[in-house]
Amino acid sequence: MPNSVDFISLVQSKFGDKVQIQKGVNGEASFVANNGLHHDILKAMIDADEKTGITSITGLDFGENLGIYYHIHTAKSFFTIKAEVPRANPKIKTLTDIHTGATFHELEVTDLMGVVFEGNELNGHFVLPENWPDGVYPLRKDINLSSVKLVPTPEREANKAAEGRQVKIIIGPQHPALLEPEKFSVTVDGETVTRVEPRIGYVHRGIEKTTELRTYLQDIYLVERVCGICNPAHAYGFVGVVEKILKPAVPERARYLRVIAMELNRLHSHLLTLGHAGLEIGYETVFQYFWRDREPIMDLIELTSGNRVYGSLITIGGVRRDITSEQIPKIKSVLADLRGKLPFYRKIYLEEPTLRLRMKDVGTLSRTDALKLSVVGPVARGSGVDMDVRKDLPYEAYNDIPFKEIVYDDGDVWARMNVRMDEVEESINIIEYAIDHLPAGPIKVEVARSVPVGEAVCSLEAPRGELFYYVKSNGTDMPERVKIRTPTFANIPSFLQTAIGESIADVPSNFVSLDPCFSCTDR
Amino acid sequence: MTDTKTWARVKSPWVLHFNSGACNGCDIEIVALLTPKYDVERFGIKLEPSPRHADVLLVTGAVTHQCAERLKRVYDQMPQPKFVVAIGACACSGGVFEGNYSVVGGVDKVVPVSAYIPGCPPRPEAIIDGVVKLLSAINPPKQKKQAGAPKAEPAPIVEEVKQNAQ
Repeated sequence: MPNSVDFISLVQSKFGDKVQIQKGVNGEASFVANNGLHHDILKAMIDADEKTGITSITGLDFGENLGIYYHIHTAKSFFTIKAEVPRANPKIKTLTDIHTGATFHELEVTDLMGVVFEGNELNGHFVLPENWPDGVYPLRKDINLSSVKLVPTPEREANKAAEGRQVKIIIGPQHPALLEPEKFSVTVDGETVTRVEPRIGYVHRGIEKTTELRTYLQDIYLVERVCGICNPAHAYGFVGVVEKILKPAVPERARYLRVIAMELNRLHSHLLTLGHAGLEIGYETVFQYFWRDREPIMDLIELTSGNRVYGSLITIGGVRRDITSEQIPKIKSVLADLRGKLPFYRKIYLEEPTLRLRMKDVGTLSRTDALKLSVVGPVARGSGVDMDVRKDLPYEAYNDIPFKEIVYDDGDVWARMNVRMDEVEESINIIEYAIDHLPAGPIKVEVARSVPVGEAVCSLEAPRGELFYYVKSNGTDMPERVKIRTPTFANIPSFLQTAIGESIADVPSNFVSLDPCFSCTDR
Repeated sequence: MTDTKTWARVKSPWVLHFNSGACNGCDIEIVALLTPKYDVERFGIKLEPSPRHADVLLVTGAVTHQCAERLKRVYDQMPQPKFVVAIGACACSGGVFEGNYSVVGGVDKVVPVSAYIPGCPPRPEAIIDGVVKLLSAINPPKQKKQAGAPKAEPAPIVEEVKQNAQ
């Protein structure tokens, strides 16, 4: 859909002088809107473009006031609505009544920054540990974290048994179906799921706060460790946003090498999930097949970046390692091998009756709900929403590289997995094209260690969907605030909705179809 | 009888994987161990979902405050004798997250650790090496004939596994 809506004129004509417009700040423009106007602006934007949704909400500490930045995505652009509330009475109107997707973002800001969203209040903790004292907000600047005293764990609602004939089944934090610790309290009536309550935060390591205490260079290595699966995406998210403030002339060759690194990462991540989905439905052969073929890709990542998992290839101003002409035949032969196996795998995912029985019409998310919940990545594309940051807001060399955007309309687990299956082939195409068209020249430019005062946003298509970074700099070599919105954080609400009314046995396969990554979710 | 038990344990250790707040890097490498390229089942190692059936606890992650209680509980549920292997830099010492407000910083601050496998993440080969070294430490070839093997848990063994990184 072409972007025919001019949001800047729309806001200008509707709100006039009440809203101050900062063009070019944090996306296409920032709207400074206080006294509850943020609610009206978002409503006007959603009415104008159905793809409008909340990407993230950042809480900031300005001393006297607390800032709340609503990062809004539309079909082809980014906006930020800036609001401020007094520190003494940090209350603001919730947006959940017009956009359900805001729920989790608001709760997170409440827990970490202490802003109360009226109409979406938090009971207990959302990402902080249960034994964290109430009223201590780690992202505020005046907090001395070393003096925080943990309190005994209180008993919260989720641990109490269900009433009547319903039974509450606790999945996690240590559970065979979950590789990572996170708790889901699933209430069932017979075998039918009636309610799912998540408790995230088991992997919350306080990365956003820690980035403020380290230099930009150290932060690259820190944000990579948000996630061990999609680390080049995180590295690029942070580097990309810092580069928007610093504006170095990144060499063309580096832009292509970054694309190769991110697509190799997507390949290994998608193969991992396609295999993992087989494991969750008890089809272990599929798991072993996909993971067998993932290993040569891991070898390629090691060949090009120097390490299997954390290559730390992407850095501010370029990349740290070049692809030599001797490596190219090896890369091409591995990709050709994988391409040769794809028809067989596609046949498994399209036709295999066992897979169809466990995946077709399971966890169906309609297009309307997908838009309402602001889901991202393969989950959105599996529900017929054509959202791919690589196409909508091309970054690095994606503008020059032809590739197809994969969209399935079914909205079920099967569709989400087939989106990934088809994207494997597209990734191979992208890497092959990038290698064939690799420009000559340097791979890196020198950049200053200190970053001038500024703020910027960067969004990119990680394997699990849109990954969003916001950085505010203060002129030193350490950032003032870093906000990370990860794809799984945006996708979990869709699982909470689609699981209801389905069998408890379908919970694992429904859940794994989001390609969940809790270390991303919690940060 | 003790010899038989040791033999059974060394030939077929069932491992339980617990993520105490890791980034997935180490965890995916542990899962990769089960797949055709590394295939740890050739050492009799089997990934076991229940703590009550496990001999070895593989812990990854810097141990968040939210997970610490659970890690202790999982450890307590395992039958004696039991061994804990800390996998990755975070599990060994806290790694990059050392000092963060929501992490304890290291598995050995919560449960006793028998072997440390450093690396970020350790390569699958390093994990295999670490586990095999732990197994040979449980049943050293020379002491096989000595009567009355120690009943208590062995003293923590610190393994330096050379990591071929960067």
